[in-house]
Amino acid sequence: MDQPLSFESDLAALLPRLRRFAHALSRNSADADDLTQATAERALRNRAQWEPGTRLDSWLYRIMRNLWIDTVRARGRRDKVEAPAELAERLGEDSAIEASIDLKRVMAAMQRLPEEQREVVSLILVEGFGYREAAELLELPIGTVSSRLVRGRTALLAMVGEQ
Amino acid sequence: MTTDEKFFAWLDGELSESESAAMERKVAADPALACLADEHRALKARLGRVFDPIAEAPLPQHLQAALREPEAEVVDFGAAQRRRAARFSWSVPQWSAIAATLAVGILVGTMVPQRSTSPVAIEGGHVYAAAALDQALSAELASAPGKGDVRIGITFRDQSGAICRSFSQSAASGLACRDSKGWQVRGLFAAPEGQGGTYRMAAGMDPNLATLVNLTMDGEAFDAAQEKAAKARGWR
Repeated sequence: MDQPLSFESDLAALLPRLRRFAHALSRNSADADDLTQATAERALRNRAQWEPGTRLDSWLYRIMRNLWIDTVRARGRRDKVEAPAELAERLGEDSAIEASIDLKRVMAAMQRLPEEQREVVSLILVEGFGYREAAELLELPIGTVSSRLVRGRTALLAMVGEQ
Repeated sequence: MTTDEKFFAWLDGELSESESAAMERKVAADPALACLADEHRALKARLGRVFDPIAEAPLPQHLQAALREPEAEVVDFGAAQRRRAARFSWSVPQWSAIAATLAVGILVGTMVPQRSTSPVAIEGGHVYAAAALDQALSAELASAPGKGDVRIGITFRDQSGAICRSFSQSAASGLACRDSKGWQVRGLFAAPEGQGGTYRMAAGMDPNLATLVNLTMDGEAFDAAQEKAAKARGWR
């Protein structure tokens, strides 16, 4: 059997995938990279909470998803008192990765999905998790995941299908 | 499971063999369902095309650093976002003031404003391009770079209609806008440590300068023909 890799190198190997998930959740690349960084930092701080032998990727995705939900909630509260920083949004989208116009378009469409549909679409259609894996990760009944996925992908197709 | 859910579960390979075979027959017999299956397969493929390159791209440096220095700093994600939002929502006058501060810092630090070769001069409390910088801003086209040290980046109009041009030199890059007295320097940013001499606009605009340009620009940057025409009109 291979020597087990260190937690850090396993995390480093998974980070590009987490960054892809962050892009599927976020409104722009800058937010996605902030989210990826916050996830890596929380994972390193809380490494003792990960049970060896369980899937590290699911554990990391769950951390990212929870951080994202916290952010969305905090933003919701803040945006009620402060005008949405549209300028920040526009200027945030300046990384090379978003040079892809199609990525911008798809990210914008994903943003229009309700949060609970977007995370299911991201995990299953972008990240390739199975229904059961996604349900466990989100701590939801599989039927809920399945019905959110139907609604999310149907709405997404309606938004981007004609482009 | 509703019929819809079953259809999509089939599409995602989530059904048992016998259920899957039954759905396959159903779809084969129904052109509308077959068409829907194709559309959703195409959607999934498109999601892969746009998002997969991110998982294949090298991590940006700050993310690599987050792994290397886990103990260094605890970053609050929300706070980082608020800082960024605050930074980008500064108004243009605030930016001008900051840019002016920076410009003065650089003037005092690395330039000698009294000499005739200094790239900037102070007139009526404002910083103007002088000597080689003034010449380059007035004469050079980004589409046809000259041999001098100054490189012109992009040319555009600001919200008041004045023509502005970004430039870079060995030690600094900045933005200057045309007024009746000449090229007023709106911002000047020192090249990052260790990049002096090799720093070039083409290698990527200084992020502070990029932000200033974004805040100043009205409409689009000039293309080569518009730049040429603007020069012919004396940058008015």
